[in-house]
Amino acid sequence: MSTGVSPPTDSATLRTRSKASKEDEPASQVDGPREEEQPKQPRTWAESWRLDMANVDWDTLYMSLGLKFLLFRSYRSTDFEVHRNWLAITHSLPISKWYYDTTSEWTLDYPPFFAYFEKLLSIPASLIDPKIVDLDNLGYDALPAVLYQRTTVVVTELLLGFVLLRFIRGSVDPSLQRLISASIYMHPGFLIVDHMHFQYNGFLFGILLWSILMARNGNKLASGFLFAVLLNFKHIFMYLAPAYFIYLLRSFCLSPSGELLPMHFLSLANTVILVFTVSLGPFFLMGQIPQLLSRLFPFTRGLNHAYWAPNAWAMVTFADRVLLKVVQYFNIASVAINEAGVVSASRGLVGDTIFAVLPNVKPIHTFIITGIFQAIFLVKLWRIPTYKSFVTALTLCGYTSYMFGWHVHEKAILLVLIPLSLLAAENHAFFRTYMIISITGIFSLFPLLFTPAESVVKVVYLMGWSIFVLIPLNHRTYEFPASRPFVVIDILEKVYLTGFVLLQVLFASWAVIPQAIEYWTYIHTDPLKRPPKQDTPVASTGMEFLPLMMTSVYCAVGLIWGFLRLSVLYLRQSQEVAN
Amino acid sequence: MQPGQQSNIPFIPGQVPHRTRTPLLRHRTSSLASISSEQSEIVSPIPRRHQLLQASESRHWLPSPSVSPVSTRGASPSISHPATSPRSHRLPKRTRVNSVIQQDGSRTVRFPSPSHLAKRVHPPDEEKKQSDEGGMARRWVRWMHKQGLKQWVLPNAILISTLLKWCVGLGTYSGHNTPPMFGDYEAQRHWMELTIHLPPRQWYTYDLEYWGLDYPPLTAYVSWICGIVGSWIDPTWFALEQSRGIETSSSKIFMRSTVLFFDLIYVIALVMFTRVWQGGRSSRTQHSALMSLLFQPALLLIDFGHFQYNSVMLGFTLLAVNFFACGRDLLGAVCFTLSLGFKQMSLYYAPAIGSYLIAKCIYLGPVEGRHLFIRLALVTSATFALLFLPFLPPFAPPSTILHPITRIFPFARGLFEDKVANFWCATNVVFKWKIWFPRGALVKVSTGLTALGFLPSVVGLIYSGYKRLLTTPGDNVQPDDVKKAVSAPPPFLPLLPYALLSSSMSFFLFSFQVHEKTILVPLLPLTLLLSGSSGDSETFELAALVNNVAVFSMWPLLKRDGLATQYIALLLLWNRLIGYNPLRRTGSLLRYLAMAIYTACVALHVIELIIPPPTRLPDIYPVLNVLISTPVFVLTWLWSIKRGIEVSWASGGLGSSHSHHQAPPLKHQPSNDSTASSSSTTRKFSSVEAGKAKDWQWSDGQKNGAAAADGVGLGEGRQGEVFRRSVGYKQGTGILRTASVGGVR
Repeated sequence: MSTGVSPPTDSATLRTRSKASKEDEPASQVDGPREEEQPKQPRTWAESWRLDMANVDWDTLYMSLGLKFLLFRSYRSTDFEVHRNWLAITHSLPISKWYYDTTSEWTLDYPPFFAYFEKLLSIPASLIDPKIVDLDNLGYDALPAVLYQRTTVVVTELLLGFVLLRFIRGSVDPSLQRLISASIYMHPGFLIVDHMHFQYNGFLFGILLWSILMARNGNKLASGFLFAVLLNFKHIFMYLAPAYFIYLLRSFCLSPSGELLPMHFLSLANTVILVFTVSLGPFFLMGQIPQLLSRLFPFTRGLNHAYWAPNAWAMVTFADRVLLKVVQYFNIASVAINEAGVVSASRGLVGDTIFAVLPNVKPIHTFIITGIFQAIFLVKLWRIPTYKSFVTALTLCGYTSYMFGWHVHEKAILLVLIPLSLLAAENHAFFRTYMIISITGIFSLFPLLFTPAESVVKVVYLMGWSIFVLIPLNHRTYEFPASRPFVVIDILEKVYLTGFVLLQVLFASWAVIPQAIEYWTYIHTDPLKRPPKQDTPVASTGMEFLPLMMTSVYCAVGLIWGFLRLSVLYLRQSQEVAN
Repeated sequence: MQPGQQSNIPFIPGQVPHRTRTPLLRHRTSSLASISSEQSEIVSPIPRRHQLLQASESRHWLPSPSVSPVSTRGASPSISHPATSPRSHRLPKRTRVNSVIQQDGSRTVRFPSPSHLAKRVHPPDEEKKQSDEGGMARRWVRWMHKQGLKQWVLPNAILISTLLKWCVGLGTYSGHNTPPMFGDYEAQRHWMELTIHLPPRQWYTYDLEYWGLDYPPLTAYVSWICGIVGSWIDPTWFALEQSRGIETSSSKIFMRSTVLFFDLIYVIALVMFTRVWQGGRSSRTQHSALMSLLFQPALLLIDFGHFQYNSVMLGFTLLAVNFFACGRDLLGAVCFTLSLGFKQMSLYYAPAIGSYLIAKCIYLGPVEGRHLFIRLALVTSATFALLFLPFLPPFAPPSTILHPITRIFPFARGLFEDKVANFWCATNVVFKWKIWFPRGALVKVSTGLTALGFLPSVVGLIYSGYKRLLTTPGDNVQPDDVKKAVSAPPPFLPLLPYALLSSSMSFFLFSFQVHEKTILVPLLPLTLLLSGSSGDSETFELAALVNNVAVFSMWPLLKRDGLATQYIALLLLWNRLIGYNPLRRTGSLLRYLAMAIYTACVALHVIELIIPPPTRLPDIYPVLNVLISTPVFVLTWLWSIKRGIEVSWASGGLGSSHSHHQAPPLKHQPSNDSTASSSSTTRKFSSVEAGKAKDWQWSDGQKNGAAAADGVGLGEGRQGEVFRRSVGYKQGTGILRTASVGGVR
């Protein structure tokens, strides 16, 4: 890579490292500008697990814990009930019925490790409040249940914090890495998705980052093992699997010259098989694998989610809507209009997305496009299987899947944001990419929280986070734009990011507009004689999805631009190294 | 700071003799930034301050480093002896080894020049720890400054505090979902409904059974404004009678945002406070002081969780105090009247504020003092008249004015309502006051006790004013100087916070009809004192303890409101923010007391969680809570009186008679003064030497001199006593001198 920084090696690393990676990281001996900052070598197993927390790290922990405690009583989505139901399923049913139970509509659709995990969590739950694990107690959200489940999210997320701490210990520039680690631990994405919306992403990304950390430290077997474990926790991480496959194959199973290292290959293969056996074995023995797979991969959903995840398909869908209006307005007879698509357009809600004007997209198309893009990046990774290259390729793999995948959920953007954070301070180009993708990606998560009270939290928190993370990183990496096109791009990007303010203002005022209209309509009527109001926002004006669509499209612009930026950065960088 | 660095070059005291640790050697191993910051602590020039603020030195009850020209700190190569460094035995454990060495050295080695002070550097280990010291607020401010985000600190601190306040508001509130009466939230909402639909004459008489208005008119006006704005958005929120108990999510958000909006008054007052009262200190110190005030857990929990508008009242009072410190007494009086007009609870401050103003009138002498008094009286009564205008004769029948008055002072209610950690409720365990005595007698007794409680502070203030009289017969004070003194803070200004604390605490402890939430009133001056104190001073210890115990004392209320997680979160955050670790052992008596109290608190929480109260004693847990909290509050009250006496002594109020006016003390006690300043410098030096250099440290010594010593007091024992005799008094006279020179010249 152009900056030539790669993680420092220590003796423990060198022992486990293959010849391949040694050659791939020539910079490792050069890069320590400050010798005293080389990490201490962990001598014993216990020492390597020691917490090396500086006061600042404790501060971050306290701040995040305090904030998350305060959010215990905030809005929570149906995912809360989903997970409560899983607690109940795993606690009150034998393992053979886990994937067959349909008491609730929220059936278990995560891989077995997550089910085991829920089983583990259900044991204290049953002690605290047996009603939590009562299978028929649907929609139970009394205070003990809320407190308990929220606490499990916070506690399991400590794994992420631990792994992030370990990232600091061996890094080239600990103070920089500390900032990045803190930025991940306090990531608005986790705050929105985990601590308000309710999921366990913090824990899962903890495993992912642990696996990446192992790759950085040269322990590739452990990296593969952890990723296999992660896959059995949540299968959405399959988005990242191709990068792992290529990286481990190239840098661990093959020697630099391309010869197969049978011992390495076998140990890796056995590790992965072992993990999958532990996970799927019981269900294989019970013959439930097809049922399990049908739960994990329900191919009955449409191209887009209810709120279009801001990816390429959101743009295509938007284009279709625009074209439909154009065709209808000018009454162009030569264009065939799919009637189902017209209905779909006006409805804009859940279900299959059918295009009115453009040809419809089938799952196979999305797979092919995703595959092609991933292949491009994987070829580069194959040629340069270094750690930094791996992380970039990993990010791009997730990014590609997010961009072109079938029925992508907006939460999947975390798969891009978190690994990308590790690269945020590589150089200014990376930083700008990171900034655009982060702000856009986090903003695209905003519709998850639609209640006004939580909207304030998400907006203010994003503002604070951006100031604390982006400004210092910008100071560290800043480079003046090299030429006139770059100046133009620079300005355009700034304009684009400023646009989010307007978008948010529009989005916020959208809730008030119907009320204001109503107020001015009834202004001369006695307040008490007006029709009574519901607490829910006024619906069915036909335009209530407009802000959502605008958010989706606007974010899609930024995310596509970020995708292009990152791809070009990665592909160009590999050329430079190759030269 | 990087941990790698920390661990790699260990400092082993035994291997390197301390005398050979030349500055050069230590220079090499330390980072440049920390050197420069330390230099600034030792030798940098005193920040220039506005002439107005410079008028009186003694206002630095909150330590400010305006050292008098006589005591150039570097030029005092004096020895340090144990008596002048009473706090060295209270150093944190990790610096102890080093401090012993330094202590040793300072006894034998005489540092010849200030350059030694400047170049004194610690081994990197120590340095790292120093820069890590202090609370989270301090570290954060330092980090922001290093990142070049200095100008972002203030807006960000406010932004984060706003976020936290809003997050507290996500939870439930007083009376959430409990018909038919609901709670304080419904009361506030009901007043908005009431005021927009009824003429002012009926505000204090309408359906008193259902949350009749019982706060002074400014609350009513604020409710009226909120009601008007709210009705623009959605009239159903405040429809008369129809809207009772309305709890739609949008109306909740509106109500919460009104609290947040009017909280701005308090935030502005806090920012002004750090600028005015701590104007001579570094911006880092000001910022971290602001943070410790902004995140005060008790206020956040009550205003944004429980739902009230206390910050408006406290904000106005604080503004008044700030204006007093600027010498703008009239503006201050208006602000305090507004505070009184918002909630009668600020009456708790009235003795202190009133006697402060009277003392200032006395201090200014018969002519200017009388003028000031008349102007103050006019302004105050005019403000009151404006506030009560709708209830006064031209607009309403004369009897109308009685309605608000009887509503505001509810002597018809009992001695205390819920369990509240004051004298009456605590002693009620043994003496059944309500049963044994008629209400009339109790009213009298409680009033008398309250008056007795705030008497020392009132007398102290007025006596100080009298003693510091500007113009005595035969004095040659120019009339111009007196005129200047009118708009300058008087020398006894440092007494004001202590007087506020002591008066409000005596009201809380002894007066009639006190609510547990009212502890917020005494907490304000105490937290102000905390924000200006260094992390190892007695003030800090006590104020942190009382803040925590105050939150604990409101636990029954918070539990009822469903604010348990907020309670834990805010306590955790705030203590971390100010850098207070209840478990750290420092060896002072106060700390042992604090640990005992914390143990009791935690034990009570655990027992309450596990064992339901026995049916025979359903109130056992609140009563135990009261019994744990009350002693702390009584202690604080006594402490405030003691500190009041010390401060007035140090500032010369209780000193010897008028003699200093006839003969300028400059001639009198030059030797005394230099000793005083030099010994205070030594103190400062030795404590800094001992590895505790901080931005606020250098002014710490000053404070110790000026305000008769943090090192003195509860549990400080003989050393403190010695110190007070040897330094406090002399320094006190020094301050006296500078003050009278500054004020009279």
